Amino acid sequence: MTLAQSANQHGAEVEDNDFAEFEEFDEEDKPEAAAPGEQKEEPKQPKVLMSPEADINEAENAEEEEATVEDDDDEFEHLQDDDEFEGFDKERTVKGKGQEKPPDLKITKIPLHLRTNWDSFYMEMLMLLGLSVYLLNFIVGKSKNSKLAQAWLTAHRSLLENNFSVVGDDGSSTEAQSGVLMKESENIFSLWCSGRVCCEGMLVTLKLLKRQDLISHISRIFKPQTDQIIIKVTMDEGEMDSYVFCLAKKKALLRLHKEMNDLSWYCPEKKSIDKFNVPPSFQLLSEIGEATASILDSKMVAALNKYESWIEYMHFSDQFSGPRIQDDAQPTKKPETSKVLIFCFNVGRRGNCQLQDMEEIRPLMQMVLHCIDKTRRIRLTREAKQKADRARQRMEETFLKASHSQRSEEAQLRREKKRREEKDRIMNEDDPDKQRRLEERNLKKEQKKKNPKVKMMKVKSS
Amino acid sequence: MSSPYAAINNSADPKRSAKVHRYKPSTAAVSTDDPTPDYMNLLGMIFSMCGLMMKMKWCAWAAVYCACISFANSRSSEDTKQILSSFMLSISAVVMSYLQNPQPMTPPW
Repeated sequence: MTLAQSANQHGAEVEDNDFAEFEEFDEEDKPEAAAPGEQKEEPKQPKVLMSPEADINEAENAEEEEATVEDDDDEFEHLQDDDEFEGFDKERTVKGKGQEKPPDLKITKIPLHLRTNWDSFYMEMLMLLGLSVYLLNFIVGKSKNSKLAQAWLTAHRSLLENNFSVVGDDGSSTEAQSGVLMKESENIFSLWCSGRVCCEGMLVTLKLLKRQDLISHISRIFKPQTDQIIIKVTMDEGEMDSYVFCLAKKKALLRLHKEMNDLSWYCPEKKSIDKFNVPPSFQLLSEIGEATASILDSKMVAALNKYESWIEYMHFSDQFSGPRIQDDAQPTKKPETSKVLIFCFNVGRRGNCQLQDMEEIRPLMQMVLHCIDKTRRIRLTREAKQKADRARQRMEETFLKASHSQRSEEAQLRREKKRREEKDRIMNEDDPDKQRRLEERNLKKEQKKKNPKVKMMKVKSS
Repeated sequence: MSSPYAAINNSADPKRSAKVHRYKPSTAAVSTDDPTPDYMNLLGMIFSMCGLMMKMKWCAWAAVYCACISFANSRSSEDTKQILSSFMLSISAVVMSYLQNPQPMTPPW
């Protein structure tokens, strides 16, 4: 406030006499002290606390002022008049004009980015914290998954080694070694067993939860999942009759029916399972009723009732060709099929699977081995066999037709392309008579194609 | 715990060492089941490009997170070069965005 008052006193005085502009000049030569009386009452100019920025602005104003102070003084006198303008800070401009030499500004050297201190980087701290939590969870999850996989292997190893001559081969080395649990990813492990009567091999895939990934932890809160063990037994050629069968929980059946080629081709609609007193949570897709009856015998039904919560689905098929490829083009080549028995088991309750759970599911592996031996003994009657063969025949034909139509389309394209090339050659042939000869030959060829083929029969007169 | 399958018919030893088939990794099954690492890799690349080009710090940090997630979900059959390159790109995005203007990060909201 003190700044504003002293400015008014100066301003008022200058206005009264006529030679204001000359007065202005005199004032500039005489230093501040010579101003009339009022200076004496205030011995010391009030010290105005200005932050460094204000100093710099002051210096800038001073420079500007000086640059223009001579010429604008006369014409723009009325601008200085504070009666005219409200809140006009005369003192600032007058003081500016009065100082000859700008005050020497001392700007302390401060490194640019440390002006804001460390705790304003709180977002970065948060990010680093998130990363370290993720890393910690990765390590813990990874070790839990590998412990679970090892527990499963130790629990099942003796049983598998009684049934397979090679348990745990990864196909890399020349000699089939055993006991190698292959790690597909941090949560997927697989074991290949081979060397058993009536089956080519058995691939066991431990599809555990992604405990190593924090994001999937969170997504599991909304959509609970469980650890799964998928066992895929590839049967030998002559060991399995021709039928397609799938017994699964409701959700799994819908997904499989949509995804799997063989199920969607050979088992169009669901079958009822009332007469087999299988737990109602299961649903059935089956091509041959007779095969279903022989599969779901008393032992199997007992196992289904006892381990209902652990069994997700069982898919036995002699036309298995994997999931359907999503591209829209109608598949022309029949995918090669194999005879498989696929089992999928859930382990642990709603995701928290402990080591002893792996021990508890040993009987399920015994059930798988029992199914392998039983499949060998299942033989369809003649009618059922014919029905199955007819269905496979029909499938063959649809593929042949599809591939035939595609082949004919390709031939058509090739012919058109050849004709177009012929025409182009004729067009850019430069000397006229060769061009005429080519055209004639072309016309004769098309004529010959148009008129019907007549067979000339020469009758020898004996 | 009695189980209906306790007595395995050990009439004949089922093992046939002559009929051993070596393991052939089937490519089809693995590629379709888990798209997360590929999506996260792509997202990481996009975020680190944004972080580098438009100097948005939260993009660079998101790129680092995407690289971590794609590393956690990566399949061992996948080559590590891709994971390494996404990590290098995202970390360089963070470093560059802090070198250019060392102000603390302002969250996108």
